[in-house]
Amino acid sequence: MAYVATRGGERAIEQSQRLFRAEMGAITPERVAEIRSAMPYLIDRVMGEASLYDEDLAALALAQTGGELYEAILLLRAWRTTQPRLTVADPVTQDSLFTHRRISAAFKDIPGGQVLGPTLDYAHRILATDVLSGQTYHPDPVDPAPQPSPARQPSVAAWQAENGLLAKSLPDATTGNDIPDITREPLLFPAKRAHTLQSLARAETGGVLALGYAAQRGYGQAHPTVNELRLAEADVVVQHPRGTRFSAGRVKVSQAEVVSKQGSELGLGFAATLGWNEVKVIAAATLDLNAAGAPKGSATEEEFFLYHTEGVESSGFCIHFKLPHYVTFQSSLDAMRDAKAKRAAKDKQPEPAE
Amino acid sequence: MSLKSLTRDWEPMSYGFLDGSAKREIRRKMLKAIAVPGCQMPYASREVPMARGWGTGGLQISCTLINPAMRIKVIDQGADDSVNAASIRSFLARVSGAPTTMDTLQADLIQSRHRIPEEMLRADQILVLQVPNPEPLRSVQPNMSIARQMHADADYGRMWLQLYEQIVRSGRVMQGASYPSLVNGRYLMTPSPIPRWDVPKLHMAQHLTILSAGREKRLYAVPPFTRVEPLVFDDVPYRVEDHGHLTCQRSGAKGYFMNEIPQAGGTSTFEVSDSELGVKTIRMAEGESARIGQTWYKDGELVQ
Amino acid sequence: MTAPPTPSDFEAETNATYAALMWALSRPGLIGHLPGTGQAQIITALIDRESAVHCTDPALAAFAARAGAALVDMDAADHVFARDLAQADLLRDLRCGSDLYPEDGATLVINADLSVGTALRLTGPGIDGAVDLSIGGLPDGFWAERARIMRYPMGFEIFLIDGSRVLGLPRSTQIEVL
Repeated sequence: MAYVATRGGERAIEQSQRLFRAEMGAITPERVAEIRSAMPYLIDRVMGEASLYDEDLAALALAQTGGELYEAILLLRAWRTTQPRLTVADPVTQDSLFTHRRISAAFKDIPGGQVLGPTLDYAHRILATDVLSGQTYHPDPVDPAPQPSPARQPSVAAWQAENGLLAKSLPDATTGNDIPDITREPLLFPAKRAHTLQSLARAETGGVLALGYAAQRGYGQAHPTVNELRLAEADVVVQHPRGTRFSAGRVKVSQAEVVSKQGSELGLGFAATLGWNEVKVIAAATLDLNAAGAPKGSATEEEFFLYHTEGVESSGFCIHFKLPHYVTFQSSLDAMRDAKAKRAAKDKQPEPAE
Repeated sequence: MSLKSLTRDWEPMSYGFLDGSAKREIRRKMLKAIAVPGCQMPYASREVPMARGWGTGGLQISCTLINPAMRIKVIDQGADDSVNAASIRSFLARVSGAPTTMDTLQADLIQSRHRIPEEMLRADQILVLQVPNPEPLRSVQPNMSIARQMHADADYGRMWLQLYEQIVRSGRVMQGASYPSLVNGRYLMTPSPIPRWDVPKLHMAQHLTILSAGREKRLYAVPPFTRVEPLVFDDVPYRVEDHGHLTCQRSGAKGYFMNEIPQAGGTSTFEVSDSELGVKTIRMAEGESARIGQTWYKDGELVQ
Repeated sequence: MTAPPTPSDFEAETNATYAALMWALSRPGLIGHLPGTGQAQIITALIDRESAVHCTDPALAAFAARAGAALVDMDAADHVFARDLAQADLLRDLRCGSDLYPEDGATLVINADLSVGTALRLTGPGIDGAVDLSIGGLPDGFWAERARIMRYPMGFEIFLIDGSRVLGLPRSTQIEVL
């Protein structure tokens, strides 16, 4: 098929979409429900990067794109654009989180205890190939602990601040509509704190990992210690027009604090995102930790990592190079040929006598 | 108070896709862009149902301006029927019910990637150019906050130096498309990756041009009757592509920007890049009714 | 998504209002026509909870607040709506933005007589050569004050409203009092 077929463009794009969708077949409610229940961590990752918390929509986006993650996230972000903003929820504080998992690498034990929660960290990574030969894999049932861990705990950084190990973070009095919103205003540098944390929260996991890993390997100044990693659920508390405050539901969140020694105090890096995504928040908190004072243009400089971990923008730009560029190419060819002709003409001229 | 009094009636999709708050922000920023020609105005740039880098900046401008009486033309590389132009045109029509056209003379709003039509635009027409990279200084300063400071100081020395070095090294300015140009004597602007052939069409033009980069979240404008001057040294004049003498082998149109089509055997033929101009030329040759408006170039020379 | 979408009355009106403002600012000196009379329609087209607005008219201020705007003093406003101005030196309170962020300059919407008044000559972007016109209803020294305050690219925009007629004066326009 011609790339730019005369009057054929519209038919061509229609058919190319059909080819893509034909492979996946019908999208049924059952399929969407199955994706949602079978792949909670994928759903979480997608919801975080889309900055849209809705498991059904995330599952639908995955079904509709055949698991093409960048496409799925773009689909959700574009849908999000069309939604009105009805209200702004109350801020979620760390000590109000309903905690499922909370670990610290900085101390052997922490107030409230190390809560391992759901993780594959200590699983042996062995593929359950028996399933493919017809044997269903049934996970072993969980034995409840004799004494449940406390559901709500302050952060480890709060304890350190009390003990003068790190500077107490100043409470931010900004509330409601005044909180800067990265989806409604442009990112400018030096970035507002809210913009930085929001950008990291919706950044592409792989991109954050790549740059965070670079910082961890030594391209950053600070070596991170995971002060606290937490997987939790947060209440979304909103105000009814009549004035009543109520919880509209819970969302899964993850957050990480990483620290490093900076002079006589600890430096603190923080990141949080919607959904449970540990790699992302640890890598993002590492970038946050390294951002202060990073040289312009380095991978740990805020402008550098915030721009380059924006998945919808970076993936879109990358694939846009598939679009025809023959006008710009022609323009360059013209300059090149002329420069070449000039050089040839110059070379033909006899060398001036000494 | 009830929820109903706080919101408007629910619609499955806003007219023109973007919701009211997105449109109002773009309107406010467009006004400032018109007031300070060539100055990049940051805007939130909502996600739209198209990938970043595929015209989302231009699309947000079109979606904000569009109404059912506005006739829309969309081109990519000069062609109305290239796949991405077709995709954007059908999206705009679908979300607005606005009529579409391929004829430059009939269009009220033209969204374009990489070209300005050859027919002169009128005072009532709006040209929306899609911009991949809005920062003319990117090649000498990739850091956006430093580049912004350079614009604030009108500090364009490094850009001049880059052009000078090209002349020393290659005997000419090697910039192909996106030729850096000074707007209203103050702001250095990239005219988007239009060929050098098209840059003079922005200078003291009758129409309004809005340039918008969705991924980079910047929009800027060239109002009508505004100076747009390519950066050149007094003794090295600005040169458009050497296309003035070429003839379109399909339509016979001559003296416009061309696409080069490589042929087996090492030769090339040429086709006029403004596809609808080619179509109209063919129609007229075959005795059908078609009208070609006044063009910026005549016999390959810019009409002064 | 099957029937062609049609704009609501709200959408149609704000779209037309904005078009009038945009063309007025793009072609300083050419008088544009708003779909209705008065300043409220401009609030509807431009203002929401992301705006900081100053209105001299309390009724209009209430209208802007309903649109979501924060009501602030003139020197903190991104949009100022005024029926009239007591003295020209009040222009000094308008925000002019900075070299780094010229877009922070304010927009002043003010009533004026677009038929009779001081004879002016406008030049600059959007104007083919020069355009002469007469504007009345503004305090003495208004134009001299405007010229004194603004250091391009810093400055503010003015929309002069006369019934349903609008004249846009971007900061890029030079105004000579004849």
